[in-house]
Amino acid sequence: MALELNLTEQHGEHVIVASGEVDLYSSPALRDAILKAVPKTAGKVAVDLRAVVYMDSSGVATLVEGLKAAGAKQKTFVLLAPSHAVMKVLQLSRLDSVFTIVEAL
Amino acid sequence: MTPVDIRMEVRSEPRLLQSIRSLVRCYVSDRGFSRDKTDEVVLAVDEACTNAIRHAYQGDKDKALHLHIHTNSSWMEFQLIDEGKTAPADRVQPKSAEVIDAEAMTPGGLGMALIYQVFDEVAFSPGSPAGNIITMRLRLPTPTEETT
Repeated sequence: MALELNLTEQHGEHVIVASGEVDLYSSPALRDAILKAVPKTAGKVAVDLRAVVYMDSSGVATLVEGLKAAGAKQKTFVLLAPSHAVMKVLQLSRLDSVFTIVEAL
Repeated sequence: MTPVDIRMEVRSEPRLLQSIRSLVRCYVSDRGFSRDKTDEVVLAVDEACTNAIRHAYQGDKDKALHLHIHTNSSWMEFQLIDEGKTAPADRVQPKSAEVIDAEAMTPGGLGMALIYQVFDEVAFSPGSPAGNIITMRLRLPTPTEETT
């Protein structure tokens, strides 16, 4: 299943809605979307992961990169409603506690 | 020796990883593993393929990944062979929990950590005459284990 990305902006907050699979093939597109949103946002970048059915370590590394990029610009980076598949790989990676995870904005 | 169930060659093109995952998912779920364990095995085999593409083949899409899968009475085994650059020894040692945490933030290190967590046995033969060989074994579920 291909990765689809939709970008929305509400009150200066950028939300990247991802759906499908995030792997070595598709993670560069997610990385681009995140790294473009970080400098544009007024305060927060959220990645909506509720419809991501698969994520591997390249996806996790992409989220870590987003977190670091946002931190470097004093912006907030949150994961919105991660699916079971995403939570599973974050937990296996022991990185679930590194992220701010929210169920709603 | 138990005959190999699946012996396939896949081009080292990241787009083809989803096809490998579909096949692995189908094979594992047919052997009585829970949905959760099946997801983990699919992830770990995908990580092994990803590492071969990124590190052994350094992104060259026109090389070959060889994946052999078989199951005997107690084990399911996945063997991935690449003919790329020899994997450095420090990447292929079994990792303690502390080392996994320290390496988790580095590209590539996280994939290996996931492989070691998911499989019961992992053996690496970097730079053998056939190439880099990673063998990943999983104990079969006992009949009492729930399949969900």
